Amino acid sequence: MAVSRRRMLAWITGTGLVGSGVLSAISNFVFIKPRATYGQPQRFSIGKPDDYPAGTRIALDARRICVVREGNRIAAVSTTCTHLGCIVGLADTGFACPCHGSRFDSDGTVTGGPAPRPLPWYKITLAPNGEIEVDKDTEITPGSYLTL
Amino acid sequence: MRFALAVGTFLILVIHGVILYNQFSHKWEVHQIAYFNQAKAMAKGDAERASLEARSPRIEQTVVADFGETRVDRCITCHIAADDPRFATYQQPLKTHPYSTAMGDVQKNGKWERRHKFSEFGCTVCHDGQGRGLSPRDAHGEDEYWPDPLLGAATQENWRKDFVPMLRGKEYLEANCAQCHTGASFSGTPTVRRGMELFYASNCYGCHRIEGLSDGTIGPDLTEVGRKFKIDYIYARIKDPKSILATSIMPRFNMLSDPDIKALVVFLKSRKGKNFSETEMDRYRLRATGGAELVQAHIKPVAINPAQMAKQGEQLVLDRACTACHKLGAKDGAIAPDLSFEGLLKTPAWLEAHFRNPRSTMADSIMPAFRFTEDEFKAMTAYLSGLKAAPALPSPEATYKALCLRCHGDKGNGLGPIAEHLDPSPRDFTKAAFMNSKPMDRLVASVRKGVEGTSMPAWEKLLDENQAKAVLGYIQTAFVKEPRQEPKARAVPAVNPVASSPESIARGEATFLNRCTGCHGRKGDGKGPNALDILPKPRNLRNNLFMAGVGDPRLFESILYGVQGTAMPSWIDYGLSNNDVGDLVNFLRNFNPKPKGGQNAGTI
Ligand code: FES
Repeated sequence: MAVSRRRMLAWITGTGLVGSGVLSAISNFVFIKPRATYGQPQRFSIGKPDDYPAGTRIALDARRICVVREGNRIAAVSTTCTHLGCIVGLADTGFACPCHGSRFDSDGTVTGGPAPRPLPWYKITLAPNGEIEVDKDTEITPGSYLTL
Repeated sequence: MRFALAVGTFLILVIHGVILYNQFSHKWEVHQIAYFNQAKAMAKGDAERASLEARSPRIEQTVVADFGETRVDRCITCHIAADDPRFATYQQPLKTHPYSTAMGDVQKNGKWERRHKFSEFGCTVCHDGQGRGLSPRDAHGEDEYWPDPLLGAATQENWRKDFVPMLRGKEYLEANCAQCHTGASFSGTPTVRRGMELFYASNCYGCHRIEGLSDGTIGPDLTEVGRKFKIDYIYARIKDPKSILATSIMPRFNMLSDPDIKALVVFLKSRKGKNFSETEMDRYRLRATGGAELVQAHIKPVAINPAQMAKQGEQLVLDRACTACHKLGAKDGAIAPDLSFEGLLKTPAWLEAHFRNPRSTMADSIMPAFRFTEDEFKAMTAYLSGLKAAPALPSPEATYKALCLRCHGDKGNGLGPIAEHLDPSPRDFTKAAFMNSKPMDRLVASVRKGVEGTSMPAWEKLLDENQAKAVLGYIQTAFVKEPRQEPKARAVPAVNPVASSPESIARGEATFLNRCTGCHGRKGDGKGPNALDILPKPRNLRNNLFMAGVGDPRLFESILYGVQGTAMPSWIDYGLSNNDVGDLVNFLRNFNPKPKGGQNAGTI
């Protein structure tokens, strides 16, 4: 009796320790990444298509994107410089970074300066309420527009 | 030992498992999946379907920075269809937020457009609740310690049950509308506006301060009341103040109906310190113009017709909540003195001065100085000074009940229903030592002439000499319970033998600091360190109406021989001479300038 009790307890203890170990390992993967951060959300609405008349390029500095509308096609180009992260300004030829002089054409391709990569384009969808939704978590191939 | 170890490790395993399991079964994920599925079924094109396909449940949040502190608003995580017009008929949480022109929404080409966009305003700016919460209980702020639960629908389980029916309803949302829409012409906040009117009309402003709106100092400052307290708490504090705080001196405003109280609660809930739309300039302007203009902007001043003075005064006394504190006929606020025969007790001049500034006629009065117009004061004075019908006083006992009981109490112990609001406290008749140490003449004089600077009125218009003696006789048998002994006359000077001079005053001050401050306080206001333990409270020697009313002989007697039945000792036993007392009296008289008008100023 005494032996079997001892064995039983050893078994329970062992299961507890090993099980906890395994769960800890899984937990590491689950909890390591925060579910939400306190920054501005990466998917957000920027208002109705009507706010962006055809042929305009409107920079939303707070959101760090530039909304490009050509006819009934619309796109969102990042305005964060790929060099050191400044906000690039609109220029006649496209975008120009004020800090170290990187230049981009209107599609975001680097035309000069230290920037190593072109400006990314973000995925854009039309939400059910009729507003345009930009998802900065998803980059798309430059030059692909959403047709309204 | 082994057993404990086994149980311990197993328990850790179980807890670990539960925590992990909970991470995979969030309610909000269920709602989002339901939304995606139904939206997919409604999708018009492949592109839309594909983009829905690509979405997986995640915490949605808006960071609202424009309204007060930055809010993290995650309500959309569950209410994911709030801005999807196709879900108007669904159940919560997958229901479209209603559109309404009242909220400024407009219809363009058959489609609604919101005035208050969720991406800009979030949800908690209007609805309160706890934007970060991800379970309904947390998010709706139903937790006992969350001061801003979701407005309009939810009622917290720990709220006072008797108020719950009054606490539901969309009107409460107005408290948040009023954070931005403060203009008097804004039509969306009728309840807040009504509450604000009541705040002035019921004289709340007399006691409470709200920055920019009022500057009362008797009650707590309500500038941030809406941020600090929950609706049911504010409701209860108005409806029945003593149910929240037994020592509260706030009156019960019985003339307020439940909807009135509700309006006040909504108004108070809208006072959260800084309203988003108020600029510093607005606040400055309100501060600079102070109370009167503001009060009169909210309660329409009554145009007084000289012929109707008393009649209009009566209406004013009723409308302006005087009976919330005072007794007047059948109405009794149980806080302040009876006004039913005020015309017999007080002169019109006294009444008017008391209205304007209660402390000018009663040093420690708690009555607020109300901001009525001159004409309104005159009308109310006219009404009160016309109340000259004496109550029936068939017997000394009836007299005591009608005139004395409210302050001195049914046991004669000075603890009548309104005694706690009076300063100084009414005399305790059960202290036989006091009653039997005062000559009959003095007692009769107190009854018939009143005591200046205290709430004891002069009853001479109601009681003649014999009636006063009869009441005192009743008090003697019913409360003092010792046969009356006329005290032996004591040797006190008829006038102060020491002439007042700076030297005498300085000597008096030295004696005062040595002997008197323990009870009467360094300022002489009766609030010395020992005062807390003493009943009756030490005399406020800065009550200049009282000090002017007592003659030198009485001061000498009290100081030299003490006051029996109180903590005031006989200083002759501690070696004070007539001259020492003379210096003291000079010192006391020196810091009490001559008062302007006492309660008998008109009659003497
Ligand atoms: S950050 Fe833009 S060029 Fe350096």
